[in-house]
Amino acid sequence: MSMLYEFEGKLLFKDSKIPIPCISIYTDAESIKQFAEEIGSDTMMAKGQALAGGRGKAGLIKKVTKETAEEYIKSIIGREHKGKPVAAVMLEELVEITKEYYLALMLDNKSGSYLMLASTMGGVDIEEVAENHPTEIHRTLLPINVDPQTYHFMELGKEMGFKAKTLTQFASICVKMTQMALKHDLTLVEINPLVITPDDKLIAADSKVVIDGNAYFRQPSIAALQSQRDQHTDLEFEATQAGISYVQLDGDIGIIAGGAGLSMATCDLLEFYGSSPANFLDVGGGANDEKVYKALELISKMDVKGIFVNFFAGITRCDDVANGVVSANKKLNIKVPIVIRMIGTKDAEGIKILEENGIHAYNKMEPSAKKIVELVKGGN
Amino acid sequence: MAVLLDKSTEVIVQGMTGKQGSFHAKSMIEYGTQVVAGVTPGKGGQEVLGVPIYDTMKEAVEATQATASVVFIPAPFVYSAALEAVDSGIELLTIITEGVPVRDTARIRRRVFEQNATLVGPNCPGLITPGEAKIGIIPGAICSKGNVGIVSRSGTLTYEIIQHLTLSGYGQSTCIGLGGDPVRGIDFKESLRLFEQDPETKHIVLVGEIGGTGEQEAAQLVIEEISKPVYAFIAGNGTWVKPGKQMGHAGAIVHGKSGTAQEKLRILNEAGILTANTPSEIPNKIKENM
Repeated sequence: MSMLYEFEGKLLFKDSKIPIPCISIYTDAESIKQFAEEIGSDTMMAKGQALAGGRGKAGLIKKVTKETAEEYIKSIIGREHKGKPVAAVMLEELVEITKEYYLALMLDNKSGSYLMLASTMGGVDIEEVAENHPTEIHRTLLPINVDPQTYHFMELGKEMGFKAKTLTQFASICVKMTQMALKHDLTLVEINPLVITPDDKLIAADSKVVIDGNAYFRQPSIAALQSQRDQHTDLEFEATQAGISYVQLDGDIGIIAGGAGLSMATCDLLEFYGSSPANFLDVGGGANDEKVYKALELISKMDVKGIFVNFFAGITRCDDVANGVVSANKKLNIKVPIVIRMIGTKDAEGIKILEENGIHAYNKMEPSAKKIVELVKGGN
Repeated sequence: MAVLLDKSTEVIVQGMTGKQGSFHAKSMIEYGTQVVAGVTPGKGGQEVLGVPIYDTMKEAVEATQATASVVFIPAPFVYSAALEAVDSGIELLTIITEGVPVRDTARIRRRVFEQNATLVGPNCPGLITPGEAKIGIIPGAICSKGNVGIVSRSGTLTYEIIQHLTLSGYGQSTCIGLGGDPVRGIDFKESLRLFEQDPETKHIVLVGEIGGTGEQEAAQLVIEEISKPVYAFIAGNGTWVKPGKQMGHAGAIVHGKSGTAQEKLRILNEAGILTANTPSEIPNKIKENM
């Protein structure tokens, strides 16, 4: 699951014939001049491109002129917004707005079908609308193998109060959104706001597009855009390259575990015993010694007070885990306490390897979690 | 039988000539599962572990009358393999593969539903009826026969809980691994119904995690239909969880309040389900309740 930048979403809209304002990506002073000529106006919007909401409130979206644009753009590009960089700035023509609407197509996990959501309360936080004005959100659940047609969305358009040409325009945008989602394996296509202009044209003024990360193998063009940006930190990127699922947290104890559920339960246990996890890390099923080494290398780059390794080996083999730990211990110069818990496939062999190298291993999860918390606290 | 499978269930392994498929087929056979055929297109006529390989599911089902299949095939090919299985009359389809596109799963699930079959997974460890048979990758050695039914969204965390139960003297009727994806085959609800009807199951343990609404729906069903005692553990109950971040499983991502472990635990408790703070508390809760 990963999100596209607004401008990438809008380019997909354009390919799908969903109306968008005229846009361009800033590259240099010349690009601003050219864009002003293209739209026939000296005034335009500059919109910082970051993969997080609330850009307007953070001052990353501003009305500028061709004279003031560059100074503003240089002041926001590269800035961090909710932990994500402002990677680019998009120039956009001004759109005259009569009213703002909300429109989104999402894959509904419960039914497995696409669900079109629409509201006349656009431009604002839709979760707030859902919570406080639930009757203001209209829905159409599509058939699972839908071949979208305008008739699927006419009722939704009427509920939104659209009539005549605006109604057919609305239904046509819905059809194109659905076709686009089907073509690119999208789990969310959100337009907030969808605006109507004084001459009754509907235009997508924003875009939020999320693609199913599992479908990259058949969406090569989007996958190429995405590979680096799904990760939020350098370590998270490095982990993904190694096939490790890693999320940086802000606690004291670095964890390495096999399996997502067990990794979460490990984080929980550290808190339960009075400490906190520095990360979530799942090496996945069937991890070998190299992956365990890599995981320890990642953790050793962080400022942690202790490390807890927790494996219930099914497909994974404890002797592999032990070999990874032993070589990391030799090469990485880890100075903080480590507690290792391993059980399951080849656990006797694994424990023997560790003990030959002077490392004690536990076989129960809860006492070992308690142990690492004690060691970390005692070291303070 | 317990639920879904027993020692008489005949199973076809899809992808049996592959590394994963042959490794796990061997462990399934050693555990006592009736693995009667394998299917790999283009490898029909071969034998693996003494089991005949067919090119198509239709041939394998016609030759063996098997009712179950398990998929150990790379994600891009799962959609086709799964539809082939269901269209060939398979009644219990288990998909172990991780990374299946969510729309593929949704469409597989629809076809399974239309054919009145059952889908377990994808991205799951499969299921085991201890002492009888297993489909998938749950280690047989940690299980023991008994009357606790387990249904879980996790893999290794389930093993942790199974082992605590086994060591405390509580064997299992059947353990079902639902899988970690947001769209999946059978969910907690269907599993609870199966355990409710199964005379061998006396206690039901539900292992959930953050994200989605499966646990909340289960709580509602417990109020309406389930008479047996239900226990639960929910992973991701700490304050460390960051909303909007995915924790390994595609399904384990919190959007809004309803997907948090705290909210799930609250709803489960309200439905009279006994919840545990740590995996080892599960057998204690059962003991206290007896």
